[in-house]
Amino acid sequence: MTEQHGINQLKRRDFLRAGLVFGAGAAGLAAGYAAVPDAFARAVYAAKNNGITNDKILVMVQLAGGNDGLRTVVPLQDPKLHDYRPRLAGPSVAQALPLNADFGLNQNLKGVKKLFDAGRVAIVQGVGYPNPVFSHFESIRVWETGDPSRRSINGWLGQLAAKQYDTLGHPLTGCACGATDVPGALRDLQATMTVIQNPKNFGFTGGDPVEQAVTALYKDTPGIYGALFDTAIATAKDTIASLKTASTKYQPMAAYSDQAKLVYSSKNQLASALQLAAELIVAGTGVKLLHVTLGGFDTHYTELNRHDDLMGYFDQAVSAFFQDLDAHGMADNVLLATWSEFGRRPKENASGGTDHGAASPLLLIGSPVKGGLYGQAPNLADLDPTGNLKYSVDFRSVYQEILTSHLGADSKEVLGGGFESIPFIKPGVGVA
Amino acid sequence: MAIETGTGSVSPQRSRRSGITRRAVVGAALAGGTGIAALRLLGLAQAPPAVRGGGGTNWISPLNRENAQVLQLLRRATFGASGAGLERALSDGYSKTVARLVETPPAMAGDLPGGDVATRSAPIKLAQLQGWLLDKMLASPTPFAERMTMFWHGHFTSDYRKVGLQSPFVYWQNQTWRRNSLGDLRTFLYEVTIDPAMLRYLDLATSTGQSPNENYSRELMELFTMGAGSFSEADVRAAARALAGWREPKTLAMVQSQKMDPKLTPAQQAKVDPTYDTEKTGVFVPQRAHKGQLTFLGRTGSFDTRSVIDQILAQKATAPHIVRRVLADFVMPNPPDATVNRLAGGFVKSKWSIRQLMHDVFMSDEFRAAANYRSLVKQPVEFMVQALRALEAPARTATALQYSSGMGQVLFDPPDVGGWPTNASWITSNTVLARVNFVTTLVAAVKKLPASEKAHQDHLDGVLSPATAKLLSSATTDQERWTLVLASPEFQLK
Repeated sequence: MTEQHGINQLKRRDFLRAGLVFGAGAAGLAAGYAAVPDAFARAVYAAKNNGITNDKILVMVQLAGGNDGLRTVVPLQDPKLHDYRPRLAGPSVAQALPLNADFGLNQNLKGVKKLFDAGRVAIVQGVGYPNPVFSHFESIRVWETGDPSRRSINGWLGQLAAKQYDTLGHPLTGCACGATDVPGALRDLQATMTVIQNPKNFGFTGGDPVEQAVTALYKDTPGIYGALFDTAIATAKDTIASLKTASTKYQPMAAYSDQAKLVYSSKNQLASALQLAAELIVAGTGVKLLHVTLGGFDTHYTELNRHDDLMGYFDQAVSAFFQDLDAHGMADNVLLATWSEFGRRPKENASGGTDHGAASPLLLIGSPVKGGLYGQAPNLADLDPTGNLKYSVDFRSVYQEILTSHLGADSKEVLGGGFESIPFIKPGVGVA
Repeated sequence: MAIETGTGSVSPQRSRRSGITRRAVVGAALAGGTGIAALRLLGLAQAPPAVRGGGGTNWISPLNRENAQVLQLLRRATFGASGAGLERALSDGYSKTVARLVETPPAMAGDLPGGDVATRSAPIKLAQLQGWLLDKMLASPTPFAERMTMFWHGHFTSDYRKVGLQSPFVYWQNQTWRRNSLGDLRTFLYEVTIDPAMLRYLDLATSTGQSPNENYSRELMELFTMGAGSFSEADVRAAARALAGWREPKTLAMVQSQKMDPKLTPAQQAKVDPTYDTEKTGVFVPQRAHKGQLTFLGRTGSFDTRSVIDQILAQKATAPHIVRRVLADFVMPNPPDATVNRLAGGFVKSKWSIRQLMHDVFMSDEFRAAANYRSLVKQPVEFMVQALRALEAPARTATALQYSSGMGQVLFDPPDVGGWPTNASWITSNTVLARVNFVTTLVAAVKKLPASEKAHQDHLDGVLSPATAKLLSSATTDQERWTLVLASPEFQLK
């Protein structure tokens, strides 16, 4: 750290100015991407003295496409569900795993149910936001930026990393596992994030000579993408070094499998992405914010099999992840949270599927949570004018609890205000 | 020397933002000693040197020279050129080359073997299909139409995962996009709507007028034509009703395969409906369609598929939305409204001629503006095909397929219905590493590399960063030089 001392003396404002000189400003901002050279990103982090210094870790699991909340946490007693969904409701109600008299988990969430019974799952029902949009991409942006007005560009976790993590630019503060691009939630002009599709081939094929040549090649690259290119290579190098250390310190202690039977396969390998997350956590790489994605939830047709398959795949991967962390004694600080751009329409369509909806439940899993049901399940008898479920909990309430009570962060700085408290994290666990 | 030639090309906008003066930029380049190294390397004592300072500066645009304009055109509008094609374009000059590219209709020859008769028992092999498309990009006599086919592949998306490979549908879709790639948008949109792969991918094939599926209706307006925020939820529902009524076609081969399905008992096999279709499009079934009046985008009346498309094309939002996507792929990452609206106006006036739109795009001032030089990042497939062409190694498509996933672009498998991202999104730790590894593997695999002395001129316009210039000047073998050229940041840009 000593070699960075000089940089640390500079004020944050100076770095912002320097960042513009580096050309990150206009292009990076417009594209909504991190575009600050590594050394400067480190310095910006370091300039924040009162950053987060605890060991809390967050794993966000994106259920991409719009997860059907009514088939994830199933209302067991409501006759309206059968009216709306003559084909979809019957089997899911009959087979649900009851949580109480009124609600049950999808029958394929057996591992999640076990964790729920152990008090390690909090379910927040009826999560959404005002004036919902039904476009995948617009609604994803709302969730990623934490801004229903869709004006923000930076991701909520990207902002958190840039503003509050004093990590001296550790390249693995934020990591997208099993992906090739930076998820919007992690994006920020001032934050350096890494992306690892597959740790097994994350390295230079040509070995050290190529690594050295490329390091020299990607230096002070001009143009609007210059800083982005240079950062990408610097981050790749740092990540290779971290992975090299990590692989010697980690052996999986659970059976991760992506051989899931899916009606048509998801593009994402959820189990291997979560195994990589476990490796980074267990090996003590300093990772704080992880993001993985499971696609395939846009169930406009033959939803019955497809959604059940996805639930089963999710359940197996998440169960393995926690089994692995438990076996390594590393589960205490890890919170896994699901998110999805929207739920689905209560009324099924001609294709045996459901169209884009609004409110849906989120699952928060891990030792830090106080298990149970939170929020209020949407009322099937009181739909909005588009025929969709009304929300009872603003999604930013969930973010706020994660930020404040789990990560020990200043949530107002990230979310721009305060929201209703949903206390699903065990009291006294958080730092702030 | 550098002061004389280097100044005009630092983007004025950038200079203003960063407060760097032209003198400071040039001074920085010289102070590093890199300007001199690059000059020596390029042997450009008399020609404009292509040197600029490092970080914070922009590339020095060579677009004041016609040769550089032609090279940029070929980089953006085709999958790169070399040999005779390159010589011809350079001798024809810019305008003539634009005219030739846009006027040449797409070459449709070269079917995918077995594509038309794909069935459950004889499915299309994904790698074969991807290789077939890469071969077209590498060797098509109409490279511009091929480049446009790729653009439409990312715009009117479908993926092989949902559509499946046990029918010709995915293959047919690519041929339909190619046939329409330079045609008129009205016809194209109709063919997109009733394309069998699209009918399956966005669920129109299972939608009915009584109980419509909104998937295609929404994405038709949001992604394919008008853009988010320009229509209401009521419009989504109305169009979903109006568009319903189509079913997928079934080929003779598919019926025969079904009749011999070993999973069926002989009695079940005998009961398979022997009817088959000869169309390569959806089949309209009036009983499944909506009957009666609807209000859609402000007009009340009866609507069918064609009148839904007509009504969409009557909306002000449509042309700018498509033009904006074209510009982000061919001209500049964030086109200003004035540029978009001007080109959109011409697009509408031409009765939605894609050929005319692209002609106007390539002849626009913006296309050749210094400020837009190297303002776009090559998609992985552009990067890889251009590298294969540069090394005269068209047989190495398997290497391209091997690395495409790590770069984030698998053909026939866009990440979602929004298609592939553009520009800055292509640059992450994972993707840049995959690009470098592709180059390493490719260069090592090619037995006889072409001469590399002029590689930085032909493929990088001779415009090099100090780092690239320095490394190239000390490289001694073809292998080293090609690796540097193809792995350089310069080669990732277009």
